[in-house]
Amino acid sequence: MMLATPAARFVLILAWICPSYALYFHIGETEKKCFIEEIPDETMVIGKYRTQLWDKLTNSFLAATPGLGMHVEIKDPDTKIILSRQYGSDGRFTFTSHTPGEHQICLHSNSTKLALFAGGKLRVHLDIQVGEHTNNYPEIAAKDKLTELQLRARQLLDQVEQIQKEQNYQRYREERFRMTSESTNQRVLWWSIAQTLILIVTGIWQMKHLKSFFEAKKLV
Amino acid sequence: MRCERRMTSVSAELCLLACLILTVDLTLGLGLNKDMEFTFLLSAGSKECFYQTTAKNDSIDVGYQVIAGSGLDVGFAIISPSGHRLVSDFRSSDGIHTVDPTEDGDYGLCFDNSFSKLSEKMVFFEVTINSQSGVGGGQDVWGEEAATESMVEYKLEDIRESMDSMYQHLKRSRQILAVLRVLEARDRYLLEDNLWRVSFWSCLNLLVMLTVAVTQIYTLRRLFVDTKRVCT
Repeated sequence: MMLATPAARFVLILAWICPSYALYFHIGETEKKCFIEEIPDETMVIGKYRTQLWDKLTNSFLAATPGLGMHVEIKDPDTKIILSRQYGSDGRFTFTSHTPGEHQICLHSNSTKLALFAGGKLRVHLDIQVGEHTNNYPEIAAKDKLTELQLRARQLLDQVEQIQKEQNYQRYREERFRMTSESTNQRVLWWSIAQTLILIVTGIWQMKHLKSFFEAKKLV
Repeated sequence: MRCERRMTSVSAELCLLACLILTVDLTLGLGLNKDMEFTFLLSAGSKECFYQTTAKNDSIDVGYQVIAGSGLDVGFAIISPSGHRLVSDFRSSDGIHTVDPTEDGDYGLCFDNSFSKLSEKMVFFEVTINSQSGVGGGQDVWGEEAATESMVEYKLEDIRESMDSMYQHLKRSRQILAVLRVLEARDRYLLEDNLWRVSFWSCLNLLVMLTVAVTQIYTLRRLFVDTKRVCT
């Protein structure tokens, strides 16, 4: 048992190794940054972020202190809030979409100690994974006891399923697009006809009114 | 004696599991050809920069598309780690740029909406990093694991190659689908804008017409009433 624990710790550390390929950006103290993800329904989204704070002493970015947190707010296509939580300086949030459409992921820092921010900006590394990219293949391989070819086949199946879902969603959006387009055409047509009729009616009314007015004034 | 052997076999198993996790991590999840895509809102009169860390001799592909916002244009620049402006687009609605080979450091991708005081822009961009070091390594790693399978090695190599190529093709189709989706979103916003504009201006037009008609009659009548008063 004693031998197993350092090996187990090594395994755990390895599982967390993450070469930093994520994009990063700078965020001010009260600034809110919003990202939009247009996804089909029943799709899982996992977002991971890591924060770093500018240290004036060493003139570099260091890992943020535990006091610094980020508030994550996620809205669904009907602008209803589906997640609104405070996370620490390193966080991981996840949600599954129930309606297809544009989901908005907003991040803003909720620093408890304003002095930490003085003059500096916060650097946020962000990575958002959608659909089959969220699947943890090592975990699946261990759970279902798959060989590498079986794992690869499973991955390809997941990829194709995701493509199918997106194509279905594309079809639904194209239908909406067509409906909006037809509605615009209809409106343009009816408004033009209505305006022509109103112009004619107004012209006739004006002439009749003026004629009766001049006749009353005995000018005609 | 038995206890010791059990412990060594457990730690050997754990080491094997660790190797499996690491190799699967590096090939499937994190290393080789990483691509990221984001859609974000760029508020009026502001600049946003995103930074990407690259190693030496990688290649980075950046594609962007403006989805919504009047004018559908944004300024774009790529800034190398040494501070040189490699690419500078002024007020364009889309673009694709490749930086190859890359230096070691952080490349900045900056979007500029400072020329627009009123409208905020929605911008979609994707970054693909093609890592030179990773591609060769991946194949070898898979090869080691395969030695444990009891199949004819030549056939296995064939199957693995076609699966790899299928994976790359599917990844490429996902990227193309993403671009098409973004174009559709842009057209949809434009169309919904048009619909709103048609309704608004038609109503306004109607009101203006009726107001003008009534004002004309009223003005004419007033002219004649005034002269009558002057006469008497």
